Amino acid sequence: MIMSKRAKGIALHAILMLGVVVSMFPFYWTVVMATNNTADVYQDPPKLIFGSELLLNIRHMLTNIDFFGSMFNTIIVATCTTALVLFLDSLAAFTFAKYEFPGRRVLFGLLLLTFMLPMQLALIPEFEIMVKLNWVGELRALIVPAAANAFGIFWMRQYTQGAVPSELLEAARLDGCGFFRQYWHVCLPIIRPGLAFLGIYTFVGAWNDYVWPLIALVNPNRVTLQVALAQLNTAHGADYSMIMAGALLALLPVVFVFILFARQFMSGAVKGALRG
Amino acid sequence: MLGVAGLAVGGTVAACGGSSGSGGSAASLTLWYWSGGLSPKVVSDAVTHFKSQTKLTASVIGGDFKQKLLTTMTSRRYVPDITGLKGEDIASILPDADRFVDLNTLGAAKLKSQYLTWKWEQGMTADGKLIAFPIDIGPTALFYREDLFGQAGLPTDPDTVAAQMKTWDEYFAAGVELHKALPKTFLIDNAGDVFTAAVGQGGTRFIDQSGKFVGDQDHIRTAWDTAVKPITLGIDAKINDNSWNGNVSNGTIGSVIGAAWHALDIEQAAPKLTGKWRVAAAPSGPADIGGSFLAIPTECADPALAFQILTWLVNPTNQAQGFTDEALFPSTPATYAMSALTSGDPYFGGQKTIDVFGPAAKAIPVQYTAAADSAVSAPYYNQLINVENGKSSDACWTAAVGQAKQIFAQQTGN
Amino acid sequence: MALPRLSAPRIARDTPLPAAPRKRPGRLRRVLSFWPQYLAISPFYAIFLVFLLIPIIFSLYLAFTSWDGLGPIKFVGLQQFRFLVKDSTFWLALRNTLTIWVLATVPMLSMSLVIASLLNSTKRFTTFYRVAYFIPSVTSIVAIALFFSAVFSENYGLANVVLHALHLPTVDWLSDSWPIKLVIAMLMTWQWTGYNAIIYLAGMQSIPTELYEAARVDGAGAIRSFFSITIPLLRPIILFTVVISTVTGLQSFTEPQVLFGSTASVNPNSGGPGQAGLTLILYFYHQAFDNSDFGYGAAIAWAAFLVIVLFTAFNWRLVARKDQ
Repeated sequence: MIMSKRAKGIALHAILMLGVVVSMFPFYWTVVMATNNTADVYQDPPKLIFGSELLLNIRHMLTNIDFFGSMFNTIIVATCTTALVLFLDSLAAFTFAKYEFPGRRVLFGLLLLTFMLPMQLALIPEFEIMVKLNWVGELRALIVPAAANAFGIFWMRQYTQGAVPSELLEAARLDGCGFFRQYWHVCLPIIRPGLAFLGIYTFVGAWNDYVWPLIALVNPNRVTLQVALAQLNTAHGADYSMIMAGALLALLPVVFVFILFARQFMSGAVKGALRG
Repeated sequence: MLGVAGLAVGGTVAACGGSSGSGGSAASLTLWYWSGGLSPKVVSDAVTHFKSQTKLTASVIGGDFKQKLLTTMTSRRYVPDITGLKGEDIASILPDADRFVDLNTLGAAKLKSQYLTWKWEQGMTADGKLIAFPIDIGPTALFYREDLFGQAGLPTDPDTVAAQMKTWDEYFAAGVELHKALPKTFLIDNAGDVFTAAVGQGGTRFIDQSGKFVGDQDHIRTAWDTAVKPITLGIDAKINDNSWNGNVSNGTIGSVIGAAWHALDIEQAAPKLTGKWRVAAAPSGPADIGGSFLAIPTECADPALAFQILTWLVNPTNQAQGFTDEALFPSTPATYAMSALTSGDPYFGGQKTIDVFGPAAKAIPVQYTAAADSAVSAPYYNQLINVENGKSSDACWTAAVGQAKQIFAQQTGN
Repeated sequence: MALPRLSAPRIARDTPLPAAPRKRPGRLRRVLSFWPQYLAISPFYAIFLVFLLIPIIFSLYLAFTSWDGLGPIKFVGLQQFRFLVKDSTFWLALRNTLTIWVLATVPMLSMSLVIASLLNSTKRFTTFYRVAYFIPSVTSIVAIALFFSAVFSENYGLANVVLHALHLPTVDWLSDSWPIKLVIAMLMTWQWTGYNAIIYLAGMQSIPTELYEAARVDGAGAIRSFFSITIPLLRPIILFTVVISTVTGLQSFTEPQVLFGSTASVNPNSGGPGQAGLTLILYFYHQAFDNSDFGYGAAIAWAAFLVIVLFTAFNWRLVARKDQ
């Protein structure tokens, strides 16, 4: 080896840190823009440090969009979607993983196929269905369709197969536990790490979803955060500081929650992948 | 868009659930408009004025107003009781007239004499229904930086400017001098704006009254060449994105051809430049750009009351307020004599802008705008940007016409 | 991900078979005895049916109609598809979408592999690195697109300021054709590189270290073992990420829409100056919701789907073929 082991280690970390800087830089810069005013950011050379205009920018932003209202809506949508997905998907996954019943293979194959279908195809007709159901402009329109999450079932099935020993289920059955109780008392506690991963994944996805809420939430007083945020982009010039203040506040909750649960997320991801 | 035939049948409504989801009952009515479409003060006054009769909720809709409105109307839920309609969209919405209340049935005809005739007629369908009521009009003028013109040795007084820049060529020649003296300053912001003004100065647009595509004819070609000239002369700032605000305030843009309401955009972009802008008559004559309407969708819970509110919002007195607050040039000639219009505008150094916009409003040519007009015109703007980026004007013209013809065939062949 | 493993041994039923079995009733009874299982999986299929399958079938029907959402639906046969074939804007959108995808995905997956192997070789700060690389994929695309539109703005965006400071020529990032595609590609790359790296990392960690030991004994260096051991064993995972990247990358919509959402003189849903950023799905959205042409929009969406399927199949063959 040409380099000593030490030097190699340092070089390794240097490259990795470079990647970290690239990943993190937009966050840093967003804070810079959000804490200064647009004129400062747009000068040559631009200010590279934090300013003190954050509150002012936030106030501007609040007059332009209903930030907290839309955030509240987004919290509702993300939470309900996650709860629904976790329950339905883990139950279905448990069924596919641990039980043989007629048509199981065909049904699961069908599930895999749905992966391929892009939701864009369904946008307009789905909108029409929402119209008929009177769900347009309602948060329901976002929550219910999201429960048909093939990835969730696929993932949890992998996980459940590897994590839940059949002997345990057999023992429970002998003790008199029916199907549902086996799920609730045996399976559920064991698959918690997998659920953590899927839960965060679903929550983040629901939080960041843009296209469908853009179309389905026709009531301008009931929109989600991403839709409200996009409205900050007005024609003929933008107050970037204000927009970035909005973007920053919209980013933070999810990033914060993610960091909080990062360890569980990562270990759940790795465990699930390894069982694949 | 549906062909005229499909809707002349009238009354054929999509087979989507029959629920009448309007914004509210007579106890509450909703109004949708965009930022700058109405004066916020007039709107809040309306809320107070009609408090005893209904709770009026006004929503300022950000983003793509037309798309949001049409999507909501398609869903028939949360449809506003009164809605704004942008001037550039009115032609494409007229074919769907049966989704709006015919305001003549609510007594609109009595008010017709108070409004400019050509504007009134823009909101009417071929069979005489009035589905859109005038708010403002958009007579164009030349907004210019008086201080920059002065530095470049160009005339600064509005009348002199108008006299010396009567034609496009004279205007562009002045632009060359401006750019020579001040290399960081350009005469215009982008070629698209010139194109819009030039097309608006003629009698015919892209589709003639018989429904034939004429976007490949001389009148459009002339407008195209006019728009390309500043690019060739190097006096086009080529600003097509949202750095427009920054460029207005830092002096990159020396002048803009725009409608009266454009003053608000300039004021908001460059509040610190108050007193440095002036208004002069536009080269080669005025056009009408924008200028909006109010309409009442059929889902409205109480059309009669909604109509009362609507007409109150745009009565001559409130239109004066609209001019003061949001540079909305009134469609009611009675307003032109009011003090709000005749007093000087501090942003324009105390200039009485009515002296420019008043005559412009009278000289606006009457144009026919087909429903497919805005869809068909889109390729020209896209291709002008290609010309700005260095492509050959002839090649881009051919491409634009080809795409426009395709869009025309598709929009009208439906 | 690898193929699904077979499940555990069958769970015995509770109800015994009838005494004198006739084939059909026995079978039916047997099927019905699994009602808890069917019930457990039915919500997915019910929701899928109502909110995905039926809409998709209806959208196929729509592609043969002309409808503006407000008026009646008119059947027009193949007319929309005939327009599509002649529509130069559609082909432009197709070229844009494929170009952007190549610009984004090839560098992205390569970098992800490299980063993953680097991460695999470190013992310290592992959680920190993983979190830091993963975070971009949980940020909202809208916020990031707004950020990129600020940074790559022509006159005062940070990118041009830096170029100017380095005495390099500035680029019209959001006006010229190639820079526009580059910016969109950079956005996608920034967001997903870390995510794919973590996935590769998970796969790498399941490769037994004995293989690397054996290779080292045989005299293979780091790079050699990377190409001879790591990549072949990661093949299924690489295939997975390629498929996912293809499908999501070709469906790009939010990036160009938000990047050019404020373009003054042209329609915000047109993909920016010269429509250089117009992707297939953005074009679909533009036709459906701006021009209120739901029929044509449906035709475009189906054409896009076809492109996605073909391209995915092509990529699959490309990656899987070497795996004899």
